[in-house]
Amino acid sequence: MSERLEGKGAAKRGNRFYLSIVLFVLAGILLIGAVAGYILRGSASTRANLDKMRDSAVLHAATEGLVENIAQTARAEKLKELRADKNFRKRGLDEVNSICDEAMSAARIEAEKLYSNPAVEDEAALESAIEGFEAVLATSGKLESAERAVYSDIYLELVEGISDWTAVAAEGADDDAVISALAETSPALKDEANAHLRPGFVKLARDMAAAQQARQDAELQEQLTTMMTGGIADWSEYAGLQGDALWEKLTAELPELAENERFKDALLEKAAEYVAAAESGEPLPEAQASEEGVEPVSETQVDYAYFAPSAELAKEQQDNEEAFQALDAQLVTIIPDLGSLTGKLQDTLRADIEKVIWPGSLDFTARYEAYMAQKADRVLSGGAANTLKLASKAEALLLGGIALLLLALVMLFWETLTARFGVPRTIITLFFIYLCLLAELYNISVRMMLGNVLERMTMYGVLVLAMMPGIQCGIGLNMGMTIGCISGLMGIVLSLQFNMTGFLAMLFACLSGALISLPLGWAYSKLLNRMKGNEMTISTYVGFSFVSLMCIGWMMLPFNNPKIIWLLSGHGLRVTHSLLGSFAHLLDNFLAFKVLGIKVPTGGLLFLGVCCGIMWLFSRSRTGIAMTAAGSNPRFAEASGINVNRMRTVGTVLSTMIAALGIVIYSQAFGYAQLYTAPRQLGFIASSAILIGGATVSKAKVSHVLIGVFLFEGVLVFGQQIANSVLSGGGLSEVMRIMISNGIILYALTQSGGGRRE
Amino acid sequence: MANEFILEMNHITKMYGSNAVLKDVTLRIRPGEIHALLGENGAGKSTLMNVLFGMPVIHSTGGFEGEVIFDGQKVNIASPMDAMEKGIGMVHQEFMLIPGFSVTDNIKLNREITRPWPVSRVLGKDLEFMNREAMSADARKALDAVGMNIEEYTLVSGLPIGHMQFIEIAREIDKSGMKLLVFDEPTAVLTESEAQQLLGVMKKIAAQGIAIIFITHRLDEVMDAANTITILRDGTLVTTVAKAETTPEQLAGLMIGRGSEGVIHVARREKELKSGIAMSIRNLWVNMPGEVVRGVDLDVREGEILGVGGLAGQGKIGIPNGVMGLYEAMGEVTFEGKKIALGGAGAALKAGLAMVSEDRRGVGLLLDQSIEDNIAFTAMQVHGDFMKHFLRQKDTGAIRRYAEEMIRELDIRCTSPAQPVGTLSGGNQQKVCVARALAMKPKFLFVSEPTRGIDIGAKQLVLETLVKLNREQGMTIVMVSSELQELRSICDRIAIVAEGKVVDILTADASDTAFGLAMSGKKIKEGESA
Repeated sequence: MSERLEGKGAAKRGNRFYLSIVLFVLAGILLIGAVAGYILRGSASTRANLDKMRDSAVLHAATEGLVENIAQTARAEKLKELRADKNFRKRGLDEVNSICDEAMSAARIEAEKLYSNPAVEDEAALESAIEGFEAVLATSGKLESAERAVYSDIYLELVEGISDWTAVAAEGADDDAVISALAETSPALKDEANAHLRPGFVKLARDMAAAQQARQDAELQEQLTTMMTGGIADWSEYAGLQGDALWEKLTAELPELAENERFKDALLEKAAEYVAAAESGEPLPEAQASEEGVEPVSETQVDYAYFAPSAELAKEQQDNEEAFQALDAQLVTIIPDLGSLTGKLQDTLRADIEKVIWPGSLDFTARYEAYMAQKADRVLSGGAANTLKLASKAEALLLGGIALLLLALVMLFWETLTARFGVPRTIITLFFIYLCLLAELYNISVRMMLGNVLERMTMYGVLVLAMMPGIQCGIGLNMGMTIGCISGLMGIVLSLQFNMTGFLAMLFACLSGALISLPLGWAYSKLLNRMKGNEMTISTYVGFSFVSLMCIGWMMLPFNNPKIIWLLSGHGLRVTHSLLGSFAHLLDNFLAFKVLGIKVPTGGLLFLGVCCGIMWLFSRSRTGIAMTAAGSNPRFAEASGINVNRMRTVGTVLSTMIAALGIVIYSQAFGYAQLYTAPRQLGFIASSAILIGGATVSKAKVSHVLIGVFLFEGVLVFGQQIANSVLSGGGLSEVMRIMISNGIILYALTQSGGGRRE
Repeated sequence: MANEFILEMNHITKMYGSNAVLKDVTLRIRPGEIHALLGENGAGKSTLMNVLFGMPVIHSTGGFEGEVIFDGQKVNIASPMDAMEKGIGMVHQEFMLIPGFSVTDNIKLNREITRPWPVSRVLGKDLEFMNREAMSADARKALDAVGMNIEEYTLVSGLPIGHMQFIEIAREIDKSGMKLLVFDEPTAVLTESEAQQLLGVMKKIAAQGIAIIFITHRLDEVMDAANTITILRDGTLVTTVAKAETTPEQLAGLMIGRGSEGVIHVARREKELKSGIAMSIRNLWVNMPGEVVRGVDLDVREGEILGVGGLAGQGKIGIPNGVMGLYEAMGEVTFEGKKIALGGAGAALKAGLAMVSEDRRGVGLLLDQSIEDNIAFTAMQVHGDFMKHFLRQKDTGAIRRYAEEMIRELDIRCTSPAQPVGTLSGGNQQKVCVARALAMKPKFLFVSEPTRGIDIGAKQLVLETLVKLNREQGMTIVMVSSELQELRSICDRIAIVAEGKVVDILTADASDTAFGLAMSGKKIKEGESA
């Protein structure tokens, strides 16, 4: 039988060998193509043709956008026209839509006739127009985005002191007083460089104060109504009374009403309703409590429209405006047909350019790229087109060749690699390298993303480390680490409650989080010791239900610092707490420096290193060795006189406490502490990271933690960017994270037989 | 002419790879007789029965040589189902009953009597109703036949163990056309009175003309019930005799009968040890599944090698596991005058005892860790050896040195001390286990089944190591083994355990008869031993 199995293995090896040969050949072809492409680029005629193609692409993209714009405008106009008609309401939605769509496609066809193949009369003019266009693309908006970053920073700081400055604004103080109240919270506003932002923020403060006042009034009125409903036993006594007479009798009964004369009309109206109901013998109408809770002011987004641009920005905007005008004029000379539509073309181009600059849609670029990719032979024909294609695709060919070469090598050495690194780690590493290649292909900065990965490593590192003692002591993947996370969050919230800041706050959060997690982890481990063999199920369940329990807990606990509770209801913690005034980025900025444009979060990395070091030392101590043995073979450990249950308790408590530290570090790197359901997924993320690093559900080392967190975060950061470039869809990164993390966990479980260790 | 034999298995030879487990065995059974099949563990009884039932394990390993004639015809039994259809039944040692079903349902399982109705006529037999009255009547008849007066509608789950055995039998005799029944150690789990009742039932069945193959270790039951006796030893047929022509003593001798050819040759001690008692065990009860110890008294002399032998499942392995605290145990164990607390491994290890477990891969080793870490583990945990003072870290240097010394001394074949033990061969793994026990510097060593599953060369080396430790360091050793030959070759005295108790303590040169009788639970009478 074993011979047969070996025979099968040999056949598989043989298949892989031939497959790798095929891949080598393909890779070779691509690489040769790439070399040819690079050589062709050297020739002047190809370069000229490439330039020509690029110009054509710009023109094409611009006119395509224009056509689209004209079509959309026609549709909107048709709709407006229909609305103006008095029969509008009689038409069904479908009918309206179809009429509008018809108008739109008619306009599109018309516009395409005009512009899709613009006759180019002046090549030189086109050349200079394109150059001008690219120059605008390159500079436009950079300053504006920098300025918006300043608004946002100030705004985030301002949120801290929201109750102070809204109070000042509500009193009707003059602008200077409001500014100084704002500057109390955000000193950056005192800076003269930011003077142009002041009117915007004053407007913001007044708006927020007004909104707050409106909400408070609504709440008060509701309370008064409720009081009136409950406080008066027999409404029939009020029959026949109206206006002031009714008001007098009401205030005599309920003196509180008299203090709030401003609600007199509304309350009287309500009272009249009750009187009418009492007279006709109907039950009183229910006082309707507003269902939607009151939205906290701090959640409001910044509206940039409030803010005047700085002098520099105004200058830049002016320059850009002029550049557009010039471009517009040039395009008109190139394409005479455009003459009648000058204004529209200008708007379209501007809209497209803005879309390029403000992320979210890559309309213009997408069109440009698509054109470059597909329509090379539209400008040229025959052999020239092929050379051109080869030249323009040289990068893609090179990267594709490298990718295939790698795949061939992996195929060839599959057995050695998987034996050494395990299947998931091999595949994920390969995937990671491919993502780097793709990033290169899509011109996404690998350096910037590496910086991002480093940052996220410090963010998740300690949380992933928390998985290690759990695996070592034999409880498998500790999905119940959310217990530790919540303890850590409790520590953070406590530090906020006592208005602590800086290192003291972080230290306090770490210590109190660890202290809280100690008894919780102990109780949790007792539970797990009673459920041997089912730890994964139990821990997942416990993790989830503890999150749910604490959703109630966060509402009920007697925190009273106005900075952290819901402002208007006066109790219950908010969902998101900014740590900007406390210890946000404290570790990451500690000794941070920049290498090759990558920010190295020294403090965070050091902390992760120290934690890993301590875990490494622990795993070499007598207790650590005993714990690992108890986890990997409980009966062996028992035979050596080790109390297996105690070792499992040690491991579980340790895991829970590290998770508490981990969430503090996570929150400082993130800048916010998130309560309620936010920690629910952390167990899954940490599990899949350590599994990618090479751990199994019964064996883990410090190296698995470090490799795992790098690969996992690397794949996520790169994958997210690339997925956005390729598919330009929103929540794709989250989908990918869930797929990768759950897939990895599932794989690990199939390898271990459902969490049972034999 | 009626056949003289209902079953003839002629010249059966079965190879597993190059290893012959049955060599030219012939078994002939007459109708209506009770034919006892005797032999030690590994003598080939189970394999012979597997051949008879056409078990997949036989076919998948290349079949067998020889012929099987059943009821006068040469047959080729392809599967247990096939055997059942031909009229061969088996009463299993582990009960194959469904606890949540009633007695009737268990007896008639898969042979239900059914009644058709319109739907089943259309959609097939699987949808027919069960005819409960007919089934109950059949079950009643079968239960009466085995002398059980329980109600046929009770659930099996609530019944005492003894009754389950009888339900198994009732199920077999309920099958129509049953001609041959195999009882595989049916009395092992029964009380004495139940065993008597069972033997009565067997005789009754035999009187109906059904032949019975009776596999057991209890010689007195054989003498009580059997008509003919066949003895196997090491896969060969020793003899087939009629009961009247033999005695239990003769049977015992024939079962063991290997002369005194030892596995290794060790110089005997010149004079008998007269040293003091190192360990005394009084009334030890151990709750180890499959190896229950029921009240053992045993004294181990200082500096001796004491063997503990007996058949599998009789409780010999439970003794070291109980003393070392690996299983729940009761009783009194005194080592060097001090009592040892039972129920946890720590106390025994601290007192200077060590053990090499029979469950090498399960209890003996951390398979994915290195040789050196395995060797150092217990000493580090119990005595705090191999530790550095600074930060209380493990002292890798000291561990490496000690492991290398052990590798040299015990001749562990490995690439380096860092090789994971899971990748070693069985024999080398066993040496690592021994090394781990030795790292404890024990005064007293339990060795449980040290040669199980390892090749002959490694066997010799392990045994030689034990003798060396005993002679050179004066270490007291208790060796538990199913291989009587091994025990006889190195032990000073051998205690034989049967049914959880020590039956007899014999010297290595005691007769085969004495050992055979002791293994079946009978102590040889004074004066007969020699």
